[in-house]
Amino acid sequence: MSAATTSSASGTSVSAGTAFFTQHEFAIRRVHSLLGLVPLGLYMVVHLTTNASLLNGSETFQRAVFLIHSPGKLLPLIEWAFIFLPLIFHAVIGVWIAKTANYNDGHYKFVNNKRYVWQRWTGVIAMVYLFFHILHLHGWFHADLYLAVIQPVGFGQFKPYNAASTLVAAMQGYFWPAFYLIGVWACVYHLANGLWTAGITWGLWISPTAQERATKVCVAIGIGLAVVGTSAWYAAVAPGEAEIAEYDAIEDRMYEASVEAGLVSPNPHKRTENSDSE
Amino acid sequence: MIALDPNVKNRPEWINVRVRRQDAPGQEPYWELHKIAYEPELNVITILQRIAAQATTSDGKKVNPVTWDCGCLEEVCGSCTMVINGKVRQSCSALVDTLMKEDPDELVLEPMSKFPVIRDLMVDRKRLFRGLQKVKAWVPVDSYYNMGAGERILMDDQEQNYPLSQCMSCGCCLEACPQYTKVELVREEGESDEAFEERQNKAHDEAFVGANAISQAVLFNNHPTGKSLAGERLDALMGPGGIAACGNAQNCVSVCPKEIPLTTSIAKAGRSTTIHAIKKWFEK
Repeated sequence: MSAATTSSASGTSVSAGTAFFTQHEFAIRRVHSLLGLVPLGLYMVVHLTTNASLLNGSETFQRAVFLIHSPGKLLPLIEWAFIFLPLIFHAVIGVWIAKTANYNDGHYKFVNNKRYVWQRWTGVIAMVYLFFHILHLHGWFHADLYLAVIQPVGFGQFKPYNAASTLVAAMQGYFWPAFYLIGVWACVYHLANGLWTAGITWGLWISPTAQERATKVCVAIGIGLAVVGTSAWYAAVAPGEAEIAEYDAIEDRMYEASVEAGLVSPNPHKRTENSDSE
Repeated sequence: MIALDPNVKNRPEWINVRVRRQDAPGQEPYWELHKIAYEPELNVITILQRIAAQATTSDGKKVNPVTWDCGCLEEVCGSCTMVINGKVRQSCSALVDTLMKEDPDELVLEPMSKFPVIRDLMVDRKRLFRGLQKVKAWVPVDSYYNMGAGERILMDDQEQNYPLSQCMSCGCCLEACPQYTKVELVREEGESDEAFEERQNKAHDEAFVGANAISQAVLFNNHPTGKSLAGERLDALMGPGGIAACGNAQNCVSVCPKEIPLTTSIAKAGRSTTIHAIKKWFEK
């Protein structure tokens, strides 16, 4: 601690933020690692599986979305506490990690070195993708004035009580489908490889044999998740105008019945405009 | 001596050696091409001796001999470590005939990029040794009294520890590590030796210690007497510049000339720090 008092000249170059980070790097990095798996990784698995359920029909998907929206007014709190805030923390620390790396895969072409580089690249891709994905469908915030600005330019498009129809409508064209496919694959790689590195960081797999075995498990999980994710993507991208109308009718029927049964709290904001007027 | 491979024909007449030189700390590096007459069975140290002897570049310019560091000449001291054809290794055990199979045109010699250059191929590895101090990579036996025989070390532990004890602090693992970043401080006007040293130590302590120190911490934490400092070593690894900075690129284990299971040590230290952190959390 005497260093701080004697070398006042060097202290000026180090900002308070960097000093805090250096002092608590262990805790910050472990929290970063943990958040990547729980809740973020776990959430991603549930999210992709839920979306893939659309392949079975819009009823299955709508039922799952109704279930997710059953906390009603509490949902924004859950979203921010368990998804958005962990995601922002993971992203901010992740960008710092990616920026401070000295990539040397040109000289040292080892598989694990390439995995290290891809982990950082897919992380950055995933971050950009998720920012726009949330803006595009969820909107990030639900204040009326804010929505009135972003919705006309094509953001905040998802209406949870008309889940499949609004999702499919938002995924028409070529730009968004391509963007989503790249984004989902980047997220899947990042989670599968991140699971492997987390296992080393926390000391779960230690010997090279154990790490090799863990790699196989993580590859299997990654392939499985890529299949589920690609199915989810296909289910949102493949249908056209005719299906949108068909889904919309089913959703309106399910909404009426669910409100009647007390399974869903009525909320016109979570429905499409034309459903409101009916 | 191993006999020359009789099947190799058309041996080259000359060896082109491109050297990245630097006259003093903080100066601009520059490249120089030297031409050495080919002889079979050369290593890079001999090449450097030939360069020093002729002290003339390929275009006939008289230059100062290239400076490099070496000691044992049998790959156990680690001091002749440099970047040869883009890969970090010891120049004593880097055989020219093998290198020429990789790149027949030229041999490229560079100083390690993660340490401050003193001159040419010689670097200052002070930070590496500071890392060993930081994790207390020793067995604490200093005492006024005869403490008697040490505890028996089980065969199993011996087998785990011996490979780790082979570390020669050469710096290959640090050079290849994408998380290990160069720290080079410039001495300020009128700064005393002590003040500069203190400033260097502070900067080194906050920067990543790297695989070798983590592995040494694991070695001494697995030693019956050494483990009396286990908590302090783990505290150091959990502190600034500790194990948290590892990014699991695993280049360290791939480039280690002694084939030390560095990533096994890192994962072990990961487990120990996890347990240590949980214990400390609940004991506070």
